[in-house]
Amino acid sequence: MGSKAKAGIVKHLVAGLKRGLGLHTPGKSLVILPDDIFLVSFPKSGNTWTRFLLANLRFPDKPATWATIDWMIPDPTGTTKRDFDRMPRPRIIKSHECFDPRYPRVIYIVRDPRDVVVSQYHYHRKIRKIEDDSPLEKFVTRFLLGDTCPHGSWGQNVATWLYTCEGSSRFLRLRYEDLIADTPRELAKVVSFLQLPAKPEQIVQAVERSSADRMRKLEKEQQHGLYKGSRADMSFVRAAGSGGWRKDLPTDQVARLEAAWGPLMHHLGYELATLPPSEIGEYAPLGTAITAPR
Amino acid sequence: MIRRLIAGGKQFLGLHYPGRSLKVFSDDIFLVSYPKSGNTWTRFLIANLVYPEKHPDFTNINELIPDPEGITKRRLERLPRPRYIKSHQYFDPRYPKVIHVVRDPRDVVLSEYYFDIKRRAIPDDFPLEKFASRFVRGELNHPYGTWGENTATWFYTRGNSQRLLLVTYEALQSEGASQVARIAEFIGVPTSSERIAFAIEQSSADRMRELEKKQGHLWSSTRQTRQDKPFVRSAKAGGWKTELPEASIAEIESEWGGLMRELGYELAVANMVHAGSHRG
Repeated sequence: MGSKAKAGIVKHLVAGLKRGLGLHTPGKSLVILPDDIFLVSFPKSGNTWTRFLLANLRFPDKPATWATIDWMIPDPTGTTKRDFDRMPRPRIIKSHECFDPRYPRVIYIVRDPRDVVVSQYHYHRKIRKIEDDSPLEKFVTRFLLGDTCPHGSWGQNVATWLYTCEGSSRFLRLRYEDLIADTPRELAKVVSFLQLPAKPEQIVQAVERSSADRMRKLEKEQQHGLYKGSRADMSFVRAAGSGGWRKDLPTDQVARLEAAWGPLMHHLGYELATLPPSEIGEYAPLGTAITAPR
Repeated sequence: MIRRLIAGGKQFLGLHYPGRSLKVFSDDIFLVSYPKSGNTWTRFLIANLVYPEKHPDFTNINELIPDPEGITKRRLERLPRPRYIKSHQYFDPRYPKVIHVVRDPRDVVLSEYYFDIKRRAIPDDFPLEKFASRFVRGELNHPYGTWGENTATWFYTRGNSQRLLLVTYEALQSEGASQVARIAEFIGVPTSSERIAFAIEQSSADRMRELEKKQGHLWSSTRQTRQDKPFVRSAKAGGWKTELPEASIAEIESEWGGLMRELGYELAVANMVHAGSHRG
Protein backbone atom coordinates (compact mmCIF):
# COMPACT_ATOMS: atom_id res chain seq x y z
CA MET A 1 0.00 0.00 0.00
CA GLY A 2 1.39 3.44 -0.90
CA SER A 3 1.96 6.00 1.80
CA LYS A 4 -0.64 8.22 0.19
CA ALA A 5 -3.29 5.51 0.47
CA LYS A 6 -2.28 4.86 4.09
CA ALA A 7 -2.55 8.54 4.91
CA GLY A 8 -5.98 8.52 3.29
CA ILE A 9 -7.17 5.64 5.45
CA VAL A 10 -5.80 7.24 8.63
CA LYS A 11 -7.60 10.47 7.77
CA HIS A 12 -10.79 8.51 7.14
CA LEU A 13 -10.43 6.63 10.44
CA VAL A 14 -9.84 9.82 12.42
CA ALA A 15 -12.90 11.39 10.79
CA GLY A 16 -14.99 8.32 11.69
CA LEU A 17 -13.80 8.40 15.28
CA LYS A 18 -14.44 12.14 15.57
CA ARG A 19 -17.95 11.57 14.27
CA GLY A 20 -18.53 8.84 16.85
CA LEU A 21 -17.56 11.27 19.60
CA GLY A 22 -19.45 14.25 18.17
CA LEU A 23 -16.26 16.23 17.61
CA HIS A 24 -16.93 16.88 13.93
CA THR A 25 -18.59 20.04 12.63
CA PRO A 26 -22.12 19.12 11.54
CA GLY A 27 -22.22 21.29 8.40
CA LYS A 28 -25.23 20.52 6.22
CA SER A 29 -26.31 17.63 8.44
CA LEU A 30 -26.96 19.88 11.44
CA VAL A 31 -30.08 18.76 13.29
CA ILE A 32 -32.34 21.80 13.45
CA LEU A 33 -34.50 22.38 16.53
CA PRO A 34 -37.92 24.04 16.32
CA ASP A 35 -36.82 27.07 18.36
CA ASP A 36 -33.57 27.69 16.47
CA ILE A 37 -32.88 31.16 15.12
CA PHE A 38 -30.65 31.59 12.10
CA LEU A 39 -28.52 34.63 11.39
CA VAL A 40 -28.05 34.41 7.64
CA SER A 41 -26.22 36.50 5.10
CA PHE A 42 -24.08 36.28 2.02
CA PRO A 43 -20.40 36.37 3.11
CA LYS A 44 -18.86 39.78 3.84
CA SER A 45 -22.20 41.40 4.57
CA GLY A 46 -21.73 42.22 8.23
CA ASN A 47 -22.45 38.73 9.53
CA THR A 48 -19.57 38.73 12.04
CA TRP A 49 -20.44 42.16 13.40
CA THR A 50 -24.11 41.17 13.78
CA ARG A 51 -22.94 37.96 15.41
CA PHE A 52 -21.09 40.01 18.03
CA LEU A 53 -24.12 42.27 18.50
CA LEU A 54 -26.45 39.31 19.02
CA ALA A 55 -23.98 37.45 21.23
CA ASN A 56 -23.65 40.50 23.46
CA LEU A 57 -27.40 40.89 23.56
CA ARG A 58 -28.11 37.22 24.23
CA PHE A 59 -25.36 36.80 26.86
CA PRO A 60 -25.10 40.19 28.63
CA ASP A 61 -22.93 38.73 31.42
CA LYS A 62 -20.15 37.68 29.08
CA PRO A 63 -18.66 40.12 26.56
CA ALA A 64 -18.17 38.35 23.23
CA THR A 65 -14.63 37.84 21.94
CA TRP A 66 -13.12 36.09 18.92
CA ALA A 67 -12.35 33.16 21.20
CA THR A 68 -15.93 32.71 22.44
CA ILE A 69 -18.03 33.75 19.43
CA ASP A 70 -18.08 30.27 17.88
CA TRP A 71 -19.69 29.02 21.03
CA MET A 72 -22.09 31.92 21.61
CA ILE A 73 -23.44 32.17 18.05
CA PRO A 74 -22.33 28.82 16.61
CA ASP A 75 -21.41 28.15 13.01
CA PRO A 76 -22.30 24.70 11.61
CA THR A 77 -18.99 24.68 9.74
CA GLY A 78 -16.88 25.86 12.68
CA THR A 79 -18.50 24.59 15.88
CA THR A 80 -18.49 20.91 16.89
CA LYS A 81 -21.65 18.83 17.03
CA ARG A 82 -21.07 18.21 20.72
CA ASP A 83 -21.01 21.95 21.45
CA PHE A 84 -24.16 22.36 19.37
CA ASP A 85 -25.93 19.73 21.45
CA ARG A 86 -24.92 21.36 24.75
CA MET A 87 -25.85 24.90 23.89
CA PRO A 88 -28.49 26.85 25.84
CA ARG A 89 -31.70 27.25 23.87
CA PRO A 90 -32.92 28.93 21.84
CA ARG A 91 -29.74 28.79 19.80
CA ILE A 92 -28.81 31.61 17.44
CA ILE A 93 -26.91 30.02 14.56
CA LYS A 94 -24.73 31.68 11.95
CA SER A 95 -25.20 30.69 8.30
CA HIS A 96 -24.27 31.81 4.81
CA GLU A 97 -26.54 29.26 3.13
CA CYS A 98 -29.12 29.99 0.47
CA PHE A 99 -32.81 29.45 1.35
CA ASP A 100 -33.47 26.46 3.59
CA PRO A 101 -37.11 25.70 4.44
CA ARG A 102 -36.08 23.98 7.66
CA TYR A 103 -34.84 27.17 9.32
CA PRO A 104 -37.64 28.06 11.76
CA ARG A 105 -36.77 31.76 12.19
CA VAL A 106 -34.39 33.83 10.11
CA ILE A 107 -32.64 37.18 10.48
CA TYR A 108 -31.27 37.96 7.03
CA ILE A 109 -28.60 40.64 6.68
CA VAL A 110 -28.22 42.13 3.24
CA ARG A 111 -25.49 44.54 2.11
CA ASP A 112 -24.96 46.61 -1.02
CA PRO A 113 -23.19 44.20 -3.43
CA ARG A 114 -20.92 47.02 -4.60
CA ASP A 115 -19.45 47.10 -1.08
CA VAL A 116 -19.60 43.33 -0.67
CA VAL A 117 -17.41 42.72 -3.70
CA VAL A 118 -14.74 45.15 -2.48
CA SER A 119 -14.82 43.63 1.00
CA GLN A 120 -14.54 40.08 -0.33
CA TYR A 121 -11.72 41.07 -2.68
CA HIS A 122 -9.63 42.38 0.22
CA TYR A 123 -10.58 39.42 2.39
CA HIS A 124 -9.40 36.97 -0.27
CA ARG A 125 -6.10 38.84 -0.45
CA LYS A 126 -5.83 38.60 3.34
CA ILE A 127 -6.41 34.85 3.44
CA ARG A 128 -4.14 34.37 0.41
CA LYS A 129 -6.89 32.98 -1.80
CA ILE A 130 -5.87 35.41 -4.54
CA GLU A 131 -2.58 37.15 -5.33
CA ASP A 132 -2.05 40.50 -3.74
CA ASP A 133 -1.99 42.24 -7.12
CA SER A 134 -4.81 40.22 -8.68
CA PRO A 135 -6.96 42.63 -10.72
CA LEU A 136 -10.26 43.68 -9.13
CA GLU A 137 -11.95 43.40 -12.53
CA LYS A 138 -11.17 39.69 -12.68
CA PHE A 139 -12.59 39.26 -9.20
CA VAL A 140 -15.82 41.04 -10.21
CA THR A 141 -16.23 38.55 -13.06
CA ARG A 142 -16.00 35.63 -10.67
CA PHE A 143 -18.21 37.42 -8.14
CA LEU A 144 -20.98 37.80 -10.73
CA LEU A 145 -20.76 34.09 -11.57
CA GLY A 146 -20.90 33.07 -7.93
CA ASP A 147 -17.42 31.55 -8.10
CA THR A 148 -15.90 33.37 -5.14
CA CYS A 149 -17.61 31.29 -2.42
CA PRO A 150 -19.76 28.15 -2.12
CA HIS A 151 -23.00 30.02 -1.34
CA GLY A 152 -24.14 31.07 -4.80
CA SER A 153 -23.74 34.54 -6.25
CA TRP A 154 -24.84 37.57 -4.24
CA GLY A 155 -27.95 37.82 -6.40
CA GLN A 156 -28.80 34.14 -6.02
CA ASN A 157 -28.31 34.07 -2.27
CA VAL A 158 -30.43 37.19 -1.73
CA ALA A 159 -33.10 36.10 -4.21
CA THR A 160 -33.63 32.67 -2.66
CA TRP A 161 -34.46 34.36 0.65
CA LEU A 162 -36.41 37.41 -0.48
CA TYR A 163 -38.65 35.62 -2.97
CA THR A 164 -39.57 32.90 -0.50
CA CYS A 165 -39.71 34.70 2.84
CA GLU A 166 -40.37 38.41 2.49
CA GLY A 167 -43.56 39.25 4.30
CA SER A 168 -43.40 36.22 6.58
CA SER A 169 -43.55 36.74 10.33
CA ARG A 170 -40.69 34.26 10.72
CA PHE A 171 -38.35 36.42 8.65
CA LEU A 172 -36.59 39.66 9.52
CA ARG A 173 -34.60 41.41 6.84
CA LEU A 174 -32.00 43.97 7.91
CA ARG A 175 -29.74 46.09 5.76
CA TYR A 176 -26.13 46.41 6.83
CA GLU A 177 -26.31 50.09 5.90
CA ASP A 178 -29.18 50.67 8.33
CA LEU A 179 -27.33 48.82 11.04
CA ILE A 180 -24.39 51.18 10.53
CA ALA A 181 -26.57 54.28 10.42
CA ASP A 182 -28.58 53.56 13.56
CA THR A 183 -27.46 50.43 15.35
CA PRO A 184 -29.73 50.70 18.43
CA ARG A 185 -32.83 51.20 16.27
CA GLU A 186 -32.08 48.14 14.12
CA LEU A 187 -31.14 46.08 17.14
CA ALA A 188 -34.47 46.98 18.74
CA LYS A 189 -36.10 45.31 15.71
CA VAL A 190 -34.15 42.16 16.46
CA VAL A 191 -35.16 42.29 20.13
CA SER A 192 -38.82 42.52 19.20
CA PHE A 193 -38.53 39.86 16.47
CA LEU A 194 -36.93 37.41 18.89
CA GLN A 195 -38.97 38.60 21.86
CA LEU A 196 -35.82 38.92 23.93
CA PRO A 197 -36.17 40.38 27.42
CA ALA A 198 -33.55 43.06 26.65
CA LYS A 199 -33.88 46.56 28.10
CA PRO A 200 -32.72 49.68 26.22
CA GLU A 201 -29.54 49.91 28.32
CA GLN A 202 -28.66 46.36 27.33
CA ILE A 203 -28.97 47.32 23.69
CA VAL A 204 -26.58 50.22 24.30
CA GLN A 205 -24.18 47.87 26.04
CA ALA A 206 -24.31 45.34 23.18
CA VAL A 207 -23.58 48.12 20.66
CA GLU A 208 -20.59 49.32 22.67
CA ARG A 209 -19.21 45.85 23.13
CA SER A 210 -19.43 45.21 19.38
CA SER A 211 -17.97 48.48 18.11
CA ALA A 212 -15.50 48.33 15.22
CA ASP A 213 -12.81 49.76 17.51
CA ARG A 214 -13.31 47.08 20.15
CA MET A 215 -13.47 44.33 17.52
CA ARG A 216 -10.23 45.59 15.95
CA LYS A 217 -8.54 45.72 19.36
CA LEU A 218 -9.72 42.18 20.18
CA GLU A 219 -8.60 40.97 16.76
CA LYS A 220 -5.05 42.22 17.45
CA GLU A 221 -4.95 40.53 20.85
CA GLN A 222 -6.46 37.28 19.61
CA GLN A 223 -4.71 36.87 16.26
CA HIS A 224 -4.53 33.13 16.70
CA GLY A 225 -8.17 32.68 17.55
CA LEU A 226 -10.02 32.49 14.29
CA TYR A 227 -8.26 33.00 11.01
CA LYS A 228 -5.27 30.70 11.02
CA GLY A 229 -2.73 31.21 8.28
CA SER A 230 -4.13 34.51 7.08
CA ARG A 231 -2.04 37.63 6.73
CA ALA A 232 -1.53 39.39 10.04
CA ASP A 233 -0.70 42.66 8.31
CA MET A 234 -4.27 43.00 7.01
CA SER A 235 -7.13 43.11 9.48
CA PHE A 236 -10.41 41.21 9.25
CA VAL A 237 -12.33 44.20 10.56
CA ARG A 238 -11.63 46.56 7.69
CA ALA A 239 -13.48 49.76 6.83
CA ALA A 240 -16.67 48.81 8.74
CA GLY A 241 -18.58 51.42 6.79
CA SER A 242 -20.90 51.73 3.85
CA GLY A 243 -20.52 53.32 0.44
CA GLY A 244 -16.77 52.67 0.11
CA TRP A 245 -17.44 51.40 -3.41
CA ARG A 246 -17.86 55.00 -4.59
CA LYS A 247 -14.10 55.47 -4.42
CA ASP A 248 -12.86 51.86 -4.51
CA LEU A 249 -14.87 50.43 -7.37
CA PRO A 250 -14.31 51.76 -10.94
CA THR A 251 -17.49 52.89 -12.69
CA ASP A 252 -17.31 50.18 -15.36
CA GLN A 253 -17.33 47.53 -12.61
CA VAL A 254 -20.22 49.25 -10.84
CA ALA A 255 -22.09 49.09 -14.15
CA ARG A 256 -21.57 45.34 -14.43
CA LEU A 257 -23.03 44.67 -11.00
CA GLU A 258 -25.97 46.97 -11.63
CA ALA A 259 -26.68 45.40 -14.99
CA ALA A 260 -26.84 41.95 -13.39
CA TRP A 261 -28.79 42.75 -10.24
CA GLY A 262 -30.36 46.17 -10.84
CA PRO A 263 -33.97 45.25 -10.07
CA LEU A 264 -33.02 43.44 -6.87
CA MET A 265 -30.75 46.27 -5.71
CA HIS A 266 -33.41 48.85 -6.48
CA HIS A 267 -35.96 46.80 -4.55
CA LEU A 268 -33.62 46.86 -1.56
CA GLY A 269 -33.28 50.63 -1.75
CA TYR A 270 -29.76 50.81 -3.17
CA GLU A 271 -29.64 53.76 -5.52
CA LEU A 272 -28.13 52.79 -8.85
CA ALA A 273 -25.31 54.94 -10.20
CA THR A 274 -25.14 53.76 -13.80
CA LEU A 275 -28.79 53.09 -14.67
CA PRO A 276 -31.58 55.67 -14.79
CA PRO A 277 -34.74 54.52 -12.94
CA SER A 278 -36.60 54.07 -16.23
CA GLU A 279 -34.12 51.41 -17.33
CA ILE A 280 -33.95 49.33 -14.16
CA GLY A 281 -36.67 46.91 -15.08
CA GLU A 282 -39.19 45.24 -12.84
CA TYR A 283 -38.09 43.58 -9.65
CA ALA A 284 -40.12 40.47 -10.37
CA PRO A 285 -38.09 38.69 -13.06
CA LEU A 286 -34.61 38.64 -11.63
CA GLY A 287 -32.02 38.82 -14.35
CA THR A 288 -32.69 38.04 -17.98
CA ALA A 289 -35.06 35.23 -18.77
CA ILE A 290 -33.62 32.22 -20.51
CA THR A 291 -35.37 30.62 -23.46
CA ALA A 292 -39.05 30.66 -22.65
CA PRO A 293 -40.38 27.24 -21.73
CA ARG A 294 -43.04 27.29 -24.38
CA MET B 1 -24.33 6.31 21.88
CA ILE B 2 -24.51 2.90 20.18
CA ARG B 3 -26.80 4.30 17.52
CA ARG B 4 -24.33 7.09 16.97
CA LEU B 5 -21.44 4.65 16.65
CA ILE B 6 -23.37 2.57 14.13
CA ALA B 7 -24.15 5.73 12.17
CA GLY B 8 -20.47 6.68 12.39
CA GLY B 9 -19.46 3.22 11.14
CA LYS B 10 -21.91 3.39 8.23
CA GLN B 11 -20.63 6.83 7.38
CA PHE B 12 -17.08 5.49 7.51
CA LEU B 13 -17.92 2.72 5.06
CA GLY B 14 -19.95 5.01 2.83
CA LEU B 15 -23.13 2.99 3.37
CA HIS B 16 -25.34 5.92 4.33
CA TYR B 17 -27.58 7.86 1.95
CA PRO B 18 -25.82 11.18 1.33
CA GLY B 19 -28.98 13.22 0.63
CA ARG B 20 -28.34 16.95 0.53
CA SER B 21 -24.73 16.51 1.63
CA LEU B 22 -23.78 14.52 -1.47
CA LYS B 23 -20.45 15.23 -3.09
CA VAL B 24 -21.06 17.05 -6.36
CA PHE B 25 -18.77 16.47 -9.35
CA SER B 26 -18.21 19.23 -11.88
CA ASP B 27 -19.75 17.21 -14.73
CA ASP B 28 -22.90 16.15 -12.84
CA ILE B 29 -26.27 16.85 -14.40
CA PHE B 30 -29.23 17.25 -12.07
CA LEU B 31 -32.84 16.56 -12.87
CA VAL B 32 -34.64 18.79 -10.40
CA SER B 33 -38.32 19.17 -9.66
CA TYR B 34 -40.76 19.54 -6.83
CA PRO B 35 -42.29 16.13 -5.94
CA LYS B 36 -45.17 14.97 -8.17
CA SER B 37 -44.15 17.19 -11.06
CA GLY B 38 -43.17 14.60 -13.63
CA ASN B 39 -39.76 13.78 -12.23
CA THR B 40 -40.12 10.00 -12.71
CA TRP B 41 -41.42 10.42 -16.23
CA THR B 42 -38.52 12.73 -17.14
CA ARG B 43 -36.18 10.26 -15.48
CA PHE B 44 -37.44 7.55 -17.84
CA LEU B 45 -37.20 9.90 -20.83
CA ILE B 46 -33.59 10.77 -20.08
CA ALA B 47 -32.63 7.20 -19.21
CA ASN B 48 -34.11 5.97 -22.51
CA LEU B 49 -32.30 8.74 -24.34
CA VAL B 50 -28.90 8.16 -22.74
CA TYR B 51 -28.94 4.42 -21.99
CA PRO B 52 -31.33 2.79 -24.50
CA GLU B 53 -29.25 -0.41 -24.39
CA LYS B 54 -29.96 -0.82 -20.65
CA HIS B 55 -33.75 -1.06 -21.18
CA PRO B 56 -34.66 1.31 -18.34
CA ASP B 57 -37.48 0.17 -16.09
CA PHE B 58 -38.43 0.34 -12.40
CA THR B 59 -35.79 -2.24 -11.47
CA ASN B 60 -32.81 -0.25 -12.72
CA ILE B 61 -33.93 3.40 -12.85
CA ASN B 62 -32.42 4.04 -9.39
CA GLU B 63 -29.04 2.99 -10.78
CA LEU B 64 -29.32 4.85 -14.08
CA ILE B 65 -30.62 8.14 -12.70
CA PRO B 66 -29.95 7.80 -8.97
CA ASP B 67 -31.59 9.65 -6.10
CA PRO B 68 -29.03 10.69 -3.43
CA GLU B 69 -31.72 10.01 -0.85
CA GLY B 70 -32.11 6.42 -2.00
CA ILE B 71 -28.62 5.23 -2.95
CA THR B 72 -25.54 4.82 -0.77
CA LYS B 73 -22.70 7.31 -0.89
CA ARG B 74 -20.32 4.59 -1.99
CA ARG B 75 -22.40 3.49 -4.98
CA LEU B 76 -23.15 7.06 -5.94
CA GLU B 77 -19.45 7.89 -6.09
CA ARG B 78 -18.67 4.86 -8.25
CA LEU B 79 -21.25 5.49 -10.98
CA PRO B 80 -20.07 6.12 -14.54
CA ARG B 81 -19.55 9.78 -15.37
CA PRO B 82 -21.17 12.05 -16.19
CA ARG B 83 -23.82 11.18 -13.62
CA TYR B 84 -27.47 12.10 -14.12
CA ILE B 85 -28.93 12.68 -10.68
CA LYS B 86 -32.53 13.03 -9.59
CA SER B 87 -33.34 15.68 -6.99
CA HIS B 88 -36.32 17.35 -5.31
CA GLN B 89 -34.09 19.83 -3.51
CA TYR B 90 -34.58 23.58 -3.40
CA PHE B 91 -31.78 25.70 -4.86
CA ASP B 92 -28.30 24.31 -4.35
CA PRO B 93 -25.53 26.52 -5.76
CA ARG B 94 -23.25 23.52 -6.21
CA TYR B 95 -25.33 21.83 -8.91
CA PRO B 96 -23.32 22.51 -12.10
CA LYS B 97 -26.07 21.77 -14.64
CA VAL B 98 -29.78 21.63 -13.91
CA ILE B 99 -32.84 20.49 -15.83
CA HIS B 100 -35.68 22.08 -13.88
CA VAL B 101 -39.06 20.47 -14.48
CA VAL B 102 -42.00 22.59 -13.33
CA ARG B 103 -45.66 21.60 -13.20
CA ASP B 104 -48.81 23.61 -12.56
CA PRO B 105 -49.24 23.55 -8.75
CA ARG B 106 -52.98 22.99 -9.16
CA ASP B 107 -52.15 19.62 -10.73
CA VAL B 108 -49.26 18.95 -8.37
CA VAL B 109 -51.59 19.13 -5.38
CA LEU B 110 -53.93 16.56 -6.93
CA SER B 111 -51.09 14.22 -7.73
CA GLU B 112 -49.65 14.57 -4.24
CA TYR B 113 -53.09 13.92 -2.78
CA TYR B 114 -53.51 10.59 -4.58
CA PHE B 115 -49.91 9.62 -3.88
CA ASP B 116 -50.38 10.28 -0.16
CA ILE B 117 -53.43 8.00 -0.21
CA LYS B 118 -51.35 5.36 -1.97
CA ARG B 119 -48.60 5.56 0.62
CA ARG B 120 -51.11 5.62 3.49
CA ALA B 121 -50.16 9.12 4.67
CA ILE B 122 -53.86 10.05 4.55
CA PRO B 123 -57.04 7.93 4.42
CA ASP B 124 -59.08 7.41 1.25
CA ASP B 125 -61.74 9.89 2.29
CA PHE B 126 -59.47 12.72 3.43
CA PRO B 127 -61.03 16.02 2.27
CA LEU B 128 -59.18 17.36 -0.76
CA GLU B 129 -59.81 20.97 0.26
CA LYS B 130 -58.13 20.40 3.60
CA PHE B 131 -55.24 18.71 1.87
CA ALA B 132 -54.83 21.67 -0.48
CA SER B 133 -54.55 24.03 2.49
CA ARG B 134 -51.82 21.86 3.94
CA PHE B 135 -50.10 21.86 0.57
CA VAL B 136 -50.14 25.65 0.45
CA ARG B 137 -48.80 25.93 4.01
CA GLY B 138 -46.05 23.40 3.36
CA GLU B 139 -47.38 20.95 5.95
CA LEU B 140 -46.54 17.81 4.00
CA ASN B 141 -44.35 14.96 5.06
CA HIS B 142 -41.38 15.87 2.91
CA PRO B 143 -38.55 18.34 3.51
CA TYR B 144 -38.58 20.23 0.21
CA GLY B 145 -40.46 23.39 1.18
CA THR B 146 -43.70 24.55 -0.42
CA TRP B 147 -44.21 24.42 -4.16
CA GLY B 148 -43.75 28.20 -4.30
CA GLU B 149 -40.60 28.21 -2.20
CA ASN B 150 -38.98 25.35 -4.03
CA THR B 151 -39.85 26.64 -7.49
CA ALA B 152 -38.92 30.27 -6.70
CA THR B 153 -35.44 29.35 -5.49
CA TRP B 154 -34.65 27.85 -8.89
CA PHE B 155 -36.67 30.20 -11.07
CA TYR B 156 -35.42 33.49 -9.62
CA THR B 157 -31.76 32.47 -9.47
CA ARG B 158 -31.45 31.34 -13.08
CA GLY B 159 -30.43 34.78 -14.43
CA ASN B 160 -29.21 34.35 -17.97
CA SER B 161 -27.34 31.27 -16.93
CA GLN B 162 -26.61 28.54 -19.44
CA ARG B 163 -26.51 26.12 -16.53
CA LEU B 164 -30.27 25.78 -16.09
CA LEU B 165 -32.88 24.50 -18.52
CA LEU B 166 -36.50 25.12 -17.59
CA VAL B 167 -38.96 22.52 -18.88
CA THR B 168 -42.64 22.46 -18.01
CA TYR B 169 -44.55 19.24 -17.53
CA GLU B 170 -47.30 20.68 -19.71
CA ALA B 171 -44.94 21.30 -22.63
CA LEU B 172 -43.54 17.79 -22.26
CA GLN B 173 -47.12 16.54 -22.62
CA SER B 174 -48.16 18.70 -25.56
CA GLU B 175 -44.92 18.79 -27.55
CA GLY B 176 -42.77 15.99 -26.25
CA ALA B 177 -40.45 15.66 -29.24
CA SER B 178 -39.27 19.27 -29.25
CA GLN B 179 -38.88 19.34 -25.46
CA VAL B 180 -36.87 16.13 -25.40
CA ALA B 181 -34.73 17.59 -28.19
CA ARG B 182 -34.08 20.66 -25.99
CA ILE B 183 -33.05 18.37 -23.14
CA ALA B 184 -30.78 16.32 -25.40
CA GLU B 185 -29.09 19.43 -26.69
CA PHE B 186 -28.69 20.81 -23.16
CA ILE B 187 -27.01 17.69 -21.82
CA GLY B 188 -24.98 17.22 -24.98
CA VAL B 189 -26.26 13.81 -26.02
CA PRO B 190 -26.01 13.11 -29.75
CA THR B 191 -29.48 12.43 -31.00
CA SER B 192 -31.81 11.86 -33.91
CA SER B 193 -35.56 12.10 -34.32
CA GLU B 194 -35.77 8.29 -34.22
CA ARG B 195 -33.91 8.16 -30.94
CA ILE B 196 -36.16 10.82 -29.45
CA ALA B 197 -39.29 9.06 -30.68
CA PHE B 198 -38.00 5.82 -29.17
CA ALA B 199 -37.36 7.47 -25.77
CA ILE B 200 -40.85 8.99 -25.75
CA GLU B 201 -42.48 5.71 -26.67
CA GLN B 202 -40.52 3.75 -24.07
CA SER B 203 -41.59 6.30 -21.44
CA SER B 204 -45.26 6.55 -22.41
CA ALA B 205 -47.84 6.43 -19.64
CA ASP B 206 -49.19 3.15 -21.00
CA ARG B 207 -45.81 1.48 -21.01
CA MET B 208 -44.94 2.84 -17.55
CA ARG B 209 -48.28 1.56 -16.23
CA GLU B 210 -47.49 -1.87 -17.63
CA LEU B 211 -44.02 -1.86 -16.06
CA GLU B 212 -45.50 -0.70 -12.77
CA LYS B 213 -47.90 -3.65 -12.73
CA LYS B 214 -45.01 -6.06 -13.05
CA GLN B 215 -42.41 -4.23 -10.97
CA GLY B 216 -44.25 -1.84 -8.65
CA HIS B 217 -43.65 -4.12 -5.69
CA LEU B 218 -39.89 -3.99 -6.35
CA TRP B 219 -39.30 -0.25 -6.77
CA SER B 220 -38.19 1.67 -3.67
CA SER B 221 -40.72 4.48 -4.15
CA THR B 222 -43.72 2.14 -4.38
CA ARG B 223 -42.60 -1.01 -2.57
CA GLN B 224 -44.29 -0.35 0.73
CA THR B 225 -47.30 1.50 -0.63
CA ARG B 226 -50.83 0.30 -1.41
CA GLN B 227 -50.76 -1.93 -4.47
CA ASP B 228 -54.43 -1.24 -5.25
CA LYS B 229 -53.55 2.35 -6.16
CA PRO B 230 -51.36 3.16 -9.16
CA PHE B 231 -48.21 5.31 -9.06
CA VAL B 232 -48.59 6.23 -12.73
CA ARG B 233 -52.01 7.83 -12.47
CA SER B 234 -53.71 10.10 -15.03
CA ALA B 235 -50.41 11.40 -16.50
CA LYS B 236 -52.28 14.39 -17.88
CA ALA B 237 -52.26 18.15 -17.54
CA GLY B 238 -55.25 20.20 -16.38
CA GLY B 239 -57.02 17.65 -14.16
CA TRP B 240 -57.48 20.42 -11.60
CA LYS B 241 -60.05 22.10 -13.83
CA THR B 242 -62.58 19.39 -13.06
CA GLU B 243 -61.32 17.92 -9.80
CA LEU B 244 -59.99 20.71 -7.62
CA PRO B 245 -62.51 22.66 -5.46
CA GLU B 246 -62.75 26.31 -6.41
CA ALA B 247 -61.71 27.40 -2.93
CA SER B 248 -58.50 25.43 -3.31
CA ILE B 249 -57.80 26.94 -6.72
CA ALA B 250 -58.27 30.38 -5.19
CA GLU B 251 -56.03 29.53 -2.25
CA ILE B 252 -53.20 28.34 -4.49
CA GLU B 253 -53.51 31.25 -6.89
CA SER B 254 -53.58 33.88 -4.18
CA GLU B 255 -50.44 32.40 -2.64
CA TRP B 256 -48.37 31.90 -5.78
CA GLY B 257 -50.21 33.75 -8.56
CA GLY B 258 -47.27 36.00 -9.43
CA LEU B 259 -44.88 33.14 -9.90
CA MET B 260 -47.49 31.02 -11.72
CA ARG B 261 -48.13 33.78 -14.23
CA GLU B 262 -44.41 34.19 -14.89
CA LEU B 263 -44.26 30.49 -15.63
CA GLY B 264 -47.08 30.86 -18.12
CA TYR B 265 -49.93 29.36 -16.07
CA GLU B 266 -53.12 31.27 -16.61
CA LEU B 267 -54.97 32.09 -13.43
CA ALA B 268 -58.56 30.91 -13.18
CA VAL B 269 -59.93 33.04 -10.37
CA ALA B 270 -60.75 36.49 -11.72
CA ASN B 271 -59.72 39.80 -10.19
CA MET B 272 -56.82 38.43 -8.29
CA VAL B 273 -55.87 40.73 -5.47
CA HIS B 274 -52.61 39.10 -4.52
CA ALA B 275 -51.39 38.15 -7.95
CA GLY B 276 -48.31 40.30 -7.54
CA SER B 277 -46.87 38.31 -4.68
CA HIS B 278 -46.78 34.65 -3.93
CA ARG B 279 -46.72 34.91 -0.18
CA GLY B 280 -49.70 36.06 1.82
